[in-house]
Amino acid sequence: MLSRRQFLQQSGGGLGAVALAQMLDGDPKSTSVPKAKRVVQLFMSGAASQCDTFDYKPELIRRHGDKFDPGGKVELFQSSPGAVMKSPWQWRRHGACGKWISDLVPHLAQCADDIAFLHGMVSTSNVHGPATFLQSTGFARPGFPAMGAWTSYGLGSSNDNLPTFVVLPDARGFAPGGPRNWSAGFLPTQHQATMIRPDRPEPLADLFPPQQTAFITAASEADGRRALAQLNRLHQQSRADDQRLEARIASYELAARLQLSAPEALDISRETNEVRELYGVDQAPTSDFGRRCLVARRLLERGVRFVQIWSGADNGHPRRNWDSHEDLARDHSNMAAEMDRPAAALLTDLKRRGMLDDTVVLWTTEFGRMPCSQGGLGRDHNPFGFTNWLAGGGIRGGASYGATDEWSYRAVENPTTCNDVHATILHLLGIDHKQLTFRHNGIDRRLTDVAGRVLRDVLA
Amino acid sequence: MLRFAALVLLLSTTGGLHAQTVAWWSQRPLQTVAVPATGSHWVRTPIDAFLLSRLRKNGLEPSPVAERRTLIRRLTFDLHGLPPTIAEIETFANDPRKDAYERLVDRLLDSPRYGERWARHWLDVVHYGETHGYDKDKLRANAWPYRDWVIRSFNEDKPYTRFVKEQLAGDVLYPGTADGIVALGFIAAGPWDFVGHVELRDGTVDKAITRSLDRDDMVHTTMSTFVSTTAACARCHDHKFDAISQRDYYRLQAVFAGVDRADRAYEEAGTDQHLTSTAGSLGYHSEIANSRDASKWVQVDLGEPRELDQILLYPAHEVFGGHPGPGFGFPVRFRIDASNDVEFGESTTIADHTDRDFLHPGDAPQRFAGKGERARFVRVTATRLFERTNDWIFALGELVVLAGDSNVAALAPVAALDSIEAGGAWGQRYLTDTAARRTGRMVYAAATAFRASGNFTPAAAPRPVHLLARGEVQQPLALVAAGALSCLPDLERHFALAPDAHEGQRRAALARWITDEANPLSWRSIVNRVWQYHFGNGLVDTPNDFGRMGGQPSHPELLDWLAVWFRDGDGSFKQLHRLLVTSAAYRQSSAPREPDDLAPSRDAGNVLLWRMSRRRLEAEAIRDAMLAASGKLDLTMGGPSVRWFGFVDDHSPHYSYDSFDPDGAGAWRRSIYRHIVRSVPDPFFEALDCADASILTPKRYTTLTPLQALAMRNNRFVLRQAEHFAARLRTEVSTVRQQVDRAFRLALARAPSRAEADIMATHAERHGLASLCRLIFNLNEFLFLD
Repeated sequence: MLSRRQFLQQSGGGLGAVALAQMLDGDPKSTSVPKAKRVVQLFMSGAASQCDTFDYKPELIRRHGDKFDPGGKVELFQSSPGAVMKSPWQWRRHGACGKWISDLVPHLAQCADDIAFLHGMVSTSNVHGPATFLQSTGFARPGFPAMGAWTSYGLGSSNDNLPTFVVLPDARGFAPGGPRNWSAGFLPTQHQATMIRPDRPEPLADLFPPQQTAFITAASEADGRRALAQLNRLHQQSRADDQRLEARIASYELAARLQLSAPEALDISRETNEVRELYGVDQAPTSDFGRRCLVARRLLERGVRFVQIWSGADNGHPRRNWDSHEDLARDHSNMAAEMDRPAAALLTDLKRRGMLDDTVVLWTTEFGRMPCSQGGLGRDHNPFGFTNWLAGGGIRGGASYGATDEWSYRAVENPTTCNDVHATILHLLGIDHKQLTFRHNGIDRRLTDVAGRVLRDVLA
Repeated sequence: MLRFAALVLLLSTTGGLHAQTVAWWSQRPLQTVAVPATGSHWVRTPIDAFLLSRLRKNGLEPSPVAERRTLIRRLTFDLHGLPPTIAEIETFANDPRKDAYERLVDRLLDSPRYGERWARHWLDVVHYGETHGYDKDKLRANAWPYRDWVIRSFNEDKPYTRFVKEQLAGDVLYPGTADGIVALGFIAAGPWDFVGHVELRDGTVDKAITRSLDRDDMVHTTMSTFVSTTAACARCHDHKFDAISQRDYYRLQAVFAGVDRADRAYEEAGTDQHLTSTAGSLGYHSEIANSRDASKWVQVDLGEPRELDQILLYPAHEVFGGHPGPGFGFPVRFRIDASNDVEFGESTTIADHTDRDFLHPGDAPQRFAGKGERARFVRVTATRLFERTNDWIFALGELVVLAGDSNVAALAPVAALDSIEAGGAWGQRYLTDTAARRTGRMVYAAATAFRASGNFTPAAAPRPVHLLARGEVQQPLALVAAGALSCLPDLERHFALAPDAHEGQRRAALARWITDEANPLSWRSIVNRVWQYHFGNGLVDTPNDFGRMGGQPSHPELLDWLAVWFRDGDGSFKQLHRLLVTSAAYRQSSAPREPDDLAPSRDAGNVLLWRMSRRRLEAEAIRDAMLAASGKLDLTMGGPSVRWFGFVDDHSPHYSYDSFDPDGAGAWRRSIYRHIVRSVPDPFFEALDCADASILTPKRYTTLTPLQALAMRNNRFVLRQAEHFAARLRTEVSTVRQQVDRAFRLALARAPSRAEADIMATHAERHGLASLCRLIFNLNEFLFLD
């Protein structure tokens, strides 16, 4: 009934498209030599400011309070441009590379030599929803597969007991667009992210039956699984040519394995005090993000390919993401205090375990913030120039690529799009972003749409 | 790439021919085809003749007819999305009449369950959802009338041309009808960028992008749905594979340049049983209490004792303040009493929800049967209040008392234990004023006049649409007029409308272009969709793309014969279903062939239909089948969607499936009535490959993943239904053997074999009947149709 290819694809685990093409067609030409096996995407939801973190502009300090006049019409999301506003934080040089980084992120600053900064990021949308989709999926509209889903589709699973693509949302809620940022879109459902919420009593939906279900016992679980397999085999006897039936029987075996392996992977109680301290899992304000970064490391160790970690929830008041329209000093302080130490811990911890060599870490935000105030103490959206960064497998640490003008307003050197970042990540994973396609409603879709170039300047 | 290379070769070898002779297959005029003569007794319908002649050409023979129990299960799921009942199975299995099967088909098509089943297919195609998607994913409380229109249209067997025309331009082509407006929910079905439309200012680049992408969704949906054409590929450049220019594309955008997506009234209100409380005064609001268990009441005086047929409570919808959102103040526990004594010294309880928390209704009106009481006063007493931050209140938007069809509580005097009187917003008298003043029921649809919200305002005239270089709004080229595709030479692509023509004329012209008898795409498209849902695969396996990147028809003559037959037979869906499901091809067994049979090797994908393809049920059918087995299925039709999630409105709304009560109000209704949230999909449905309302889904996937297995085993709803199923079995039969037998018949439409019965009985004896029922829900046979 099904071809071997369909069978392997339907049964959830196993090989992805690229690996499959190599195996079935013996054609490895479509891939480059992989530098990385795993990806972590840290997503700063709400738009983290470039000119208060990594994009140092002395001009901004000098002209603090002046009229903001970069030339041309300045079109802001919700306000008219106020005066030039210097960062409330001091700047210092860090690492052998001498990178200027603000005191807002002192722990990440210590990792400067591992990081390649992309200062010329631009976005085609100035609105959180579409701009967030762009960084997650490469498209401004909902319904497209996430980068992690493409990775799963391309490379398949590298373990038998855990999902391939995991998302760890902020405990306070979902970023704009919610789970559409980690869906499989038009790819088969098995490529969507598995959502894990380590702060909850049931971190993974339906992993176990609810405790209060009276009729379920350990014995009934075991016997029930056996009886189910027996009955399914009887049913299959007269339908032996339908491999979907076999695949479904196998899916229950995989589910049972997941029940064993997931709780172990999520159990951080056996981590040493030193490690817990490093990530800040036992104290506010780092406990949520820290726990999720630590869980991410454990998942990566156990063969999960792609982990997406969110810093920031929905747009609301009081602020619970990086969207600091009202009071940048207050709200960015809060968000950075949660994120900085755990994110740096993740880099440090991966590095000392030798995993940073083949793990790419991508720090993303959907756009940046204006170098002027929006009248009061906050900064409005800036899609014309912002900073993302990369670290780890195949990345040249200490590099800075692209640049904004003297204001940190507009990308003037090597403008970089989400497509370029996505192309680079796929390249590091050994995938040519132009070859990884899926036909949907008449179009051979790609993660990178019709654009994207590998950012060779930041490759090691 | 291989396919493209072959195409280039083909074009270059035929390069000297006239353009029309190399027109792509789907754009060629429909051919009137003769039914092949086969001389075979196997053939029951013309489609069998087409299929058989192809099978024979390939040296293959069809499969024998499936047994009756298999057929009724196949047919009932196919036409109703539900399993047959035991009585229905026995009746059919033992029906000696020659036309027993045809009678079964007629019975199924006559049932309203048919419309509920086939509406779901259509809603997949048009990506219908009930929140906006994007950031700040607000509810669309008035989307459902379109869903009900689709159900009704299938059940009434609305002719296809009318079905299409109403959805694109019903307001213009069928003025004065409710259906003509409700059907415009089609144009508004897809996602909508709330922030882009409401918060961005006019004149900004991002606003222009937002509007252009909004129209793009309308074009994409319309052209994919009705003519299986990927016109949206020509937004940034001429279509790379099909003969669709960028100008064609922007002509289509201009068709929709006058409309937005918004609530619009579709019917003058008589007694409005489905109104949602969103506008104007808010209603009754109690004083603030310091304890959740303080008791508060509000009552209406009907003037004289009246028949209380139904009492409807409309939740309040707070727009401002610290706790905005639907269902504001709706009591957690309450009861409704009726009395002829203003003090309620002696009273009758009409509804009592004081011992369990009531599922928060959101905006959905809550309906209570009056139990035939006659009374002058109706009182709602809240015994557990709605929580704000550290305090508690009771609020209601509207109270309606229906006696027959009329609201006898309209403008009735209101009294309350206490009340906050806050200008035009809150006040006890507002409890009975809104329904009386309402102007009409609302549907979320294509609209030209609606209440402005922030920077979202109606267009005074159709917005100018320019051809955009590279699709970028900053690079506008020439203005374009509304029109259609130019690749169909028999049809006029220019609409020739007067410059001052009403924008609706553009939509009407497109609707006429699509439904023109000479449009080969439309008729091929729709018969192919219906074929796909019956047989598992379309005659063309890319139902949304009949272009050069799409598939080619496996049986081109049959496709044309069907398209002509459907078009000339008044576009009756029910006739088309009847033709397809009464065919010998449809009645074939799906069993494997003998080991030496040629069919599996010559046609492994069963493209030639040498047997019926086995298929896995869709998420909705699986859930509904559990409810049918457990006996809990609630067949209430229509009305506001049921929310199987917790909802908190906020700057950005929150949706939580954890807080869903699997036995709560509306939890047992058919899945078609589920409120579909775009941003946060229901994990149970998603695990079962439900359509994503953010994208057009002409065909669902079937995946079989470990997470799906976990959902089927452990989801709270499944487990509760297993318990209900067990309780039903215990009530209906007494011994374990009988219970096993009955469970099998209810869930799988057959009796168990001896070996199966032994395994099941052993399990039931050891672990109880509920554990057995959970097991049955997880059987491959429960999810797959032979």
